[in-house]
Amino acid sequence: MAISPAESQQSRVPEAHGSTGVPHGARVRKVAIVGLPNTGKTQIFNNLTGEYSIVANYPGTTIEMRRSVVMIKDQRYEVIDTPGLHCLYIHSEEEVAVRDMILAEAPDVIVQCLDASQYKQSLLLTAELLELETPMVLVLNAMDEVGRKGLWVDSTQLEKLLGIPVVESVALRGLGKEELKAAIAAARKSSLNVAYGFRIESLILELTSALPFSLEFKHKIATLLLQNDPFLEKYLEKRVDAQALTQLRSTLANIRGQGKGNIAQAINDKRNRWIDTVAASAVRKQKISYQGLSHYVTQASRQPLFGIPIFLFLMAVVYLSVVYVSGALDKLINFVAVAPVTALITSLSLPVFWNDLLIGNHGILTLGLFNAICTVLPILSVFFFIFGCFEDSGYITNFTVLTKTIFEKIGIPGNAITSLVLGFGCKTMATLSTRGLTVRKEKFIAVFLIAFAIPCSAQLGISMAILARVGLSAFLTVFVVLILCEVGAGLLLNTILKGRDASWFIQVIPPLRFPSMRAVCRKTYHRIVDFLKEALPIFIFSAVGLFIFDKTGLLGLTKQAMTPMIVNWMGLPKDIIDVFLLALARREAAAGLILKMVDAGSLNYIQSILAVIVTTISFPCVANVIAIGREMGWKTALLMTTLIFVSSFILVGALRWVLVLVCH
Amino acid sequence: MAVTRNDDQDEHIEQLWYMKEEGKSSLEFMKKAMKRAFDPKVVDELAQRGLVERGGEPVTIRLTVQGEARARQLIRAHRLAERLIADVLGGGDLEQIACEFEHTVSLELVNGICTLLGHPKECPHGMPIPEGDCCRLAKKSEFSFIIPLGDLKLGESARIAYINCKSDQQIHKLEGLCIRPGVVIKLHQTYPTHVIECEGASIALDKGVVANISVWKNQPGVDEVALSQVTDKKEPASTGNKFVDFLFRKVL
Repeated sequence: MAISPAESQQSRVPEAHGSTGVPHGARVRKVAIVGLPNTGKTQIFNNLTGEYSIVANYPGTTIEMRRSVVMIKDQRYEVIDTPGLHCLYIHSEEEVAVRDMILAEAPDVIVQCLDASQYKQSLLLTAELLELETPMVLVLNAMDEVGRKGLWVDSTQLEKLLGIPVVESVALRGLGKEELKAAIAAARKSSLNVAYGFRIESLILELTSALPFSLEFKHKIATLLLQNDPFLEKYLEKRVDAQALTQLRSTLANIRGQGKGNIAQAINDKRNRWIDTVAASAVRKQKISYQGLSHYVTQASRQPLFGIPIFLFLMAVVYLSVVYVSGALDKLINFVAVAPVTALITSLSLPVFWNDLLIGNHGILTLGLFNAICTVLPILSVFFFIFGCFEDSGYITNFTVLTKTIFEKIGIPGNAITSLVLGFGCKTMATLSTRGLTVRKEKFIAVFLIAFAIPCSAQLGISMAILARVGLSAFLTVFVVLILCEVGAGLLLNTILKGRDASWFIQVIPPLRFPSMRAVCRKTYHRIVDFLKEALPIFIFSAVGLFIFDKTGLLGLTKQAMTPMIVNWMGLPKDIIDVFLLALARREAAAGLILKMVDAGSLNYIQSILAVIVTTISFPCVANVIAIGREMGWKTALLMTTLIFVSSFILVGALRWVLVLVCH
Repeated sequence: MAVTRNDDQDEHIEQLWYMKEEGKSSLEFMKKAMKRAFDPKVVDELAQRGLVERGGEPVTIRLTVQGEARARQLIRAHRLAERLIADVLGGGDLEQIACEFEHTVSLELVNGICTLLGHPKECPHGMPIPEGDCCRLAKKSEFSFIIPLGDLKLGESARIAYINCKSDQQIHKLEGLCIRPGVVIKLHQTYPTHVIECEGASIALDKGVVANISVWKNQPGVDEVALSQVTDKKEPASTGNKFVDFLFRKVL
């Protein structure tokens, strides 16, 4: 549901964040859900709005803000889901957007989501949000984990200490949803927050008076200025006129000049002390707690001795289930739908043109609908389900720890590993998730490697199915070749690129938990629906396009022109051009077609391997290129795409000769 | 080796050390920086003692080898004192106490403090602490109560003593995760990456970050079950008291 510009304008007026819960007719009040990464903000958003955004158990699942309007107690609220935020003092680009949204839009209610078993890390943000003097609600999420860690959190006491409603919740299971709604409707400002003492408060006051009267959150902005926030200047430049800004700078320089002590440190110390006091009186800890099997499995998965076997075992599970489960599904759909429909159309004995348009080699049904539903969909469903389990279990971050040293040796920085692994899900999202990388060289390598030889979920699933039909050795060959490509590219880029070396690596690791089947099924369902909505039309249109191309004779000409490249250099049959053309539209469509060609026997062992590799490497999908453009600039996007395209053809040609030599 | 006390001369020598750190050597700059404390007579005395040398036009001034040695001692004492006060004795007016301290302590005591603190590299303001003999001879002395986090044994818990780090962003990130002085952490894993547990969260750190963190070794009362119940404010002070006791018994 979209809100009209007039309404959103109205909710931006300063009086908007009054503390009364009285509804003002049609005015939409804003609720911002904020919190540390991986604390369940999106799940809370989904629960409140009844919509669905992808949730997962690793930090940084949500990259963009998302808004939705809902009714809570006869009042319309615009709920805003945000990416993770550690504190209002910003250390990376990805967090700036969230803070700027809070400062600029002045939400009527802020809902802070915190992982109750790691409450203390979140209290810094709580302290800062309280200073905004906006009505606030605290959600203690994942309360089920608290007991397991031997903790006891006294939410009533916390409510008293903070002066705001505190709601207990297990968002994944939908617990605490109604309580949260009630709390949002009754949210109020807190009169309690960190006392900085006379010296710092007087400095804050001095700075506040130098800020323009109309600016929101002057007190907080003044505090951040005292802490030397590196990103705040940009925000102020847009809102404060030049003269006032100059005056502000001189006031600030003056303050820094007089005080010999470190003001930022003093502010931090006061806050830390406040956090300690709050934590000490609201939380109790058992002396002994048994953390159970998951704790030991988590630890084992990070150690090479057990971690590598665990990883190989999981890969085998993925391979076997993609091959066998989706194979069975494929047969079922074929039996139930495809075969009868094809038989029906054949029995109608339509004119050749119509017959070809529907079920010919480039028919709408054959290449479009059947390809999507019968060939691609079963494989994708199985793969989405398994990948969903991985995401929700928290394995990906633990895998990062296991492999960090190895990846770093080959030039892939530790911070980029999570993004690379996410590339196996969706390259576009993975590319966007590199926003957290602060060093440009690191980011360039990560974005390039994601676009280069990592197959995305759709393609990986289908490639596995193709290679399984050719033989396990083919699967292993492709696996090794792709890894070598990534390693080679990583090493090369690491040597060629200039710039600051990898930054430091500090990563919170979520404990492994058994994924909730309900949540995984829901996620898989949404991903499949998204796939069908997005890809099905493209499948059909590209089939029509190819059909027209074929009938007008253009396809024949293209094939002739490309023969030296395709047939002589890469050793692939001419018809593979169909695959390439489809790949420009959708990679899965192309992979689906390869699968058909393998089934029909028109590709031999070596050709199947080459076809899979060339489609994996050579065509970053349009969405991925757009994501690269957004993250790295369009010039870089163009450069990367060209590099990938050219190198793929050279690589595949060279590989052909190697394979021919080895096989004979 | 007791040091003869001459505060005015020391102030001038220290200023020259700061100027050397900033790559400055003009006398004019020195006058401006020291304002009223600057005394041409003292400079003459220093030159007579062979601690500074002047020359050139515009007039430059710099420490001689001998002068530099003296300045190194002073700066070292000053910055180590700051570390001691900030991290061990629980804060206070760093500048004033450190200023008093630097003129009065003996070289042995300075080395003793340095060793006990685990040879820190920077003062709380992030300025480098000049290396002493103790740092060069024995990077890790048996005496040291404070050890690098990397030297902790697997599965051991320890309280963070201080974090030595140049990057503001890194410090902030660590503080955001509650990794700060006074907090007890437990070392879970060292290979392929260090993993610590801190306030209920497992956190992976690379070698560079681990090297920046120093912890109290074998601190009584810290065992693995009492992980997060250490927020009592008295604790850092008692740590300090124990340290001072130790200081007086062993070193003095």
